[in-house]
Amino acid sequence: MLAELFNPYYLQIGCFILINIILALSVYVPLSTGQLSLASAGFMGLGAYTSALLTIHFDLPILVGIIAGTLIAGLIGILIGLPTLRLQGVYLAIVTLGFGEVIRVVFINWESLTNGSVGISGIPHIGREILKTLKGFGFNPQSMGLQNNQFIFLSIFVLLLIIAIFLVWFFRRQHYSRVGRAYAAIKLDEKAAESMGINITYYKVLAFTQGALLAGFAGSIYAHVLAYISPADFSYHRAVDILVFTVFGGSEVIWGPVFGAIFLTFLPEVLRFISEYRYMIYGLMIIILMAVRPQGLIDVNIINWIKSKKRSKRGVTHGSGSEKSM
Amino acid sequence: MLIEQLINGLTLGSIYAIVALGFTLVFGVLGIINMAHGEIFMFGAFIGVMITAMFDAPLWVAFGASILITAILGFFLETFALRPLRNKPGVSHLAPLISTIGVSIFLENLSHHLFGSGNKPFEAPFAQVSFQVGSITVYLVQIVIFVISIILMVALSIWLGKTKAGKALRATAENLETASLLGVDTKRIITMTVIIASAIGGIAGILVGMAFNSVNPQMGLSMGLKGLAIIILGGMGNVRGAMAGGLILGLAETFVVVYGDSGYKDAIAFLAIIVILLIRPQGLFGKKITT
Repeated sequence: MLAELFNPYYLQIGCFILINIILALSVYVPLSTGQLSLASAGFMGLGAYTSALLTIHFDLPILVGIIAGTLIAGLIGILIGLPTLRLQGVYLAIVTLGFGEVIRVVFINWESLTNGSVGISGIPHIGREILKTLKGFGFNPQSMGLQNNQFIFLSIFVLLLIIAIFLVWFFRRQHYSRVGRAYAAIKLDEKAAESMGINITYYKVLAFTQGALLAGFAGSIYAHVLAYISPADFSYHRAVDILVFTVFGGSEVIWGPVFGAIFLTFLPEVLRFISEYRYMIYGLMIIILMAVRPQGLIDVNIINWIKSKKRSKRGVTHGSGSEKSM
Repeated sequence: MLIEQLINGLTLGSIYAIVALGFTLVFGVLGIINMAHGEIFMFGAFIGVMITAMFDAPLWVAFGASILITAILGFFLETFALRPLRNKPGVSHLAPLISTIGVSIFLENLSHHLFGSGNKPFEAPFAQVSFQVGSITVYLVQIVIFVISIILMVALSIWLGKTKAGKALRATAENLETASLLGVDTKRIITMTVIIASAIGGIAGILVGMAFNSVNPQMGLSMGLKGLAIIILGGMGNVRGAMAGGLILGLAETFVVVYGDSGYKDAIAFLAIIVILLIRPQGLFGKKITT
């Protein structure tokens, strides 16, 4: 029964959806201050390589590797962010794009460390490590009616789901906090925000660094889920993929990137026959979206509409409006 | 040896300069980065390959065809990706950037389907012709590339500086509204700018095909990114800066290959812009930016 439900293939797609949600957030957060960062692929690569190399060469636990990968990406994020964020949006886009390319070129050329364009294989796998640890406690997945393989992917999926839900919750909270209001003010008008006493450099660097941390985290998870990484995984096309998640879903509310990541990761799996034309369709989609609906599919109006629908439904069945917000 | 490398660097640099000219023209007038320029450039190169290899046509026909095709692409770019966003309320300044990224993805993958994803050789009829000046070997191709790019730059400078259309273009770049109040047909000027920039990209495409003797769908991306780096290096929207920046990058890359590690050749452009943004954010030849 359980075995049929938890097909490893579906679970793996589920894992990629969750990783892509985190990546989409890494573009959404800087964008909520009006900064377009195309460095997500680069930061993702930094996180992935840091974590992979640490766990392989120093036999560190995966958790330490992931934390190190995330922090390194965040640190580089501050270093890149500080000088470039003084400049206008277009500069940032180009510099971050260039940064991604530099990272990729370094990965290809620093062969003694990164194994060049061949990539690194044999990276410890999160699911297997979890299984090994649990088996040490005398746990056997068969007792749940699951194969080892299914349990491995199920455990990753559940872990990632919890992390993704936490992150969405966190950034939604942040959106309504002092920090989130500062972000929104900077996005609307930097000069006005500055004259209201908001330290715009601080908040811009904060948003950019949050994006870098998210991307680095997603990258290190990615390395430990796939167990194989190569510089090609973190190229310009990855950056564009991540950008499209956010742009397609919408960058006004956090549900936009979440929806974009889910929909666009799922779509190519469902429509296998068009996968050859995927990028052409992506390209057309971006052009049409920008012309017709530059804020993305999901915006504030849609969220409000869903909210009001829900509220009216609840009002009919329970007789009173719910206090709970979306 | 040194002089030969200098010539190689100048050849590469003059190609870079032409690619950057296309970026800088569009940025100067519209204030946007045209991310699709690299792909239009790549299309120009492929059209050149097709014309010379399939129809055995002379080189000038290839130039004509690729200028025509890239000009048409430029027109489409302006009509479908840029114009709908212009003067629309509520559109952020990043929208045109993202929109042109869309065009670039579309064109790159279209070329995979149209031309195949592999390398295509570009047979210039005089590819192997070379002279011996003392101990230095100079290829005719290099001279042709250099001369064409010099002609292009001089022609563009004269056109921008002296002709009525060029003055209208500069007026539009200075201030769109004022120019239109003074009777400049800004809509036409903008369309013309994008078309000219694209056609220059097409010429650059053929020149690159001749210089490297190979053309592939990925070249648009790498050349486009370098073009972007150059206009930051030289100063955004600055024609002279684009030329100088292109030559500097070409020479720097050539000398890194000779005296350093050739693998890092493609990283120089970006390291240079990170450094330049730290020291002189407005670029080498740019005017001071007030933020």
